[in-house]
Amino acid sequence: MIKNRNSRIAATIVLVFGIILFYVGTDGFKAYTAETARVNDLLQEKPMFPEVTLEDSNGHTYPFSEFKDKYVFITFLYTSCATVCPKLELNMSQVYDLIPKEYFGKDIVFLSISFDPERDTPETLNRYKDAFHSDGVTWRMARIPNQKELNSLLDEFGVIVIPDGQGNFTHNSAFYLVNPNGQLIDVMDYTKVNEAADKVTRILKNETEE
Amino acid sequence: MNQSSLGFYLLIFLAIPPVAHLMESVMIIHMHMQMPMLIIAGVLMARFFQLRFPKFFEKWNSDGIPGILLFVIVMGYWMLPRTMDEALEIQAVEIFKFISLPFLAGVPLRDSWKKLKPIGKNVIFVLFTIIFAIVGWMYIFSDDQICNNYLVIEQITLGWGFLTMALSIIIYLFYATFTDPSKYE
Repeated sequence: MIKNRNSRIAATIVLVFGIILFYVGTDGFKAYTAETARVNDLLQEKPMFPEVTLEDSNGHTYPFSEFKDKYVFITFLYTSCATVCPKLELNMSQVYDLIPKEYFGKDIVFLSISFDPERDTPETLNRYKDAFHSDGVTWRMARIPNQKELNSLLDEFGVIVIPDGQGNFTHNSAFYLVNPNGQLIDVMDYTKVNEAADKVTRILKNETEE
Repeated sequence: MNQSSLGFYLLIFLAIPPVAHLMESVMIIHMHMQMPMLIIAGVLMARFFQLRFPKFFEKWNSDGIPGILLFVIVMGYWMLPRTMDEALEIQAVEIFKFISLPFLAGVPLRDSWKKLKPIGKNVIFVLFTIIFAIVGWMYIFSDDQICNNYLVIEQITLGWGFLTMALSIIIYLFYATFTDPSKYE
């Protein structure tokens, strides 16, 4: 009888330990993958977009602060990508089409940033942008030529890029929204186009009414 | 060299940074070789603890249930996609892996297994068959990249590894059900 009681006590302790372990390990049963945890952290931290120099598909070079006072809708890609990136950019173009035209240029800019600056020259980016009917002005595609600056941005925004040694990269994908102060305010699921477009439109509407 | 020290040396060997790094560079080796070997190290070392603290195990794990519960919990924890990523990114999690798998999974597994009744053993086999099948399915057919540190192709490989394990347990259970070992002794 006593033996059984001890066993019950031990089993209870083990169970409590297990619950605590899983609770701590998943941020309170909220994040079972590192990606969810990363997005949750970003939303809490709201990091600033670091000062980097961009070179776009028109060959123009400018600092990120060029977009001051505008929202910037960002994706990260590389043009040789055959898997996720085309889908990511296609979805981005759908979001672009869903947002009312009057906001573009003045209140919001779309920006696709390549993390493969070696191959994604302005010429390559220019060809790539045409495939997605990006106009190169209200939706720009750009690379960050300085690897150090690029790394600081990827690090700050939690974009993990792993080269596979054969010219391809594995990377996590999302829509990123940076506010007019250069602060990351949202990370959205890139597969939910309508949700993202609604959210951005709502934010722009609030902004212009103020 | 007795088995306890063998287990200890195995743990030390696995913890040598170049060895650990090499094994963790491939997803399926990380999960289906390094982690089981850590548990094996614990199983070997369990003898030392059983001899040293016989009363503790007798008192708190008399029927083997608390121990096997601890084993299942720790196993389950390390099957979360997130923990594998964090073991690579956060040092504390990596250290916890090298402590929890041998001492909180390997040691209790050995102490509990012999104490469990056949029904208890079968419950564990069936439970892990189901878990491995589900986790394998998830890794193979997930459209998303579940682990940020590994390629999707590695994720699919790992998924098949899980399904193979589940299949192996099913084969074993059939074998155990339909053969009588005493005939061959």
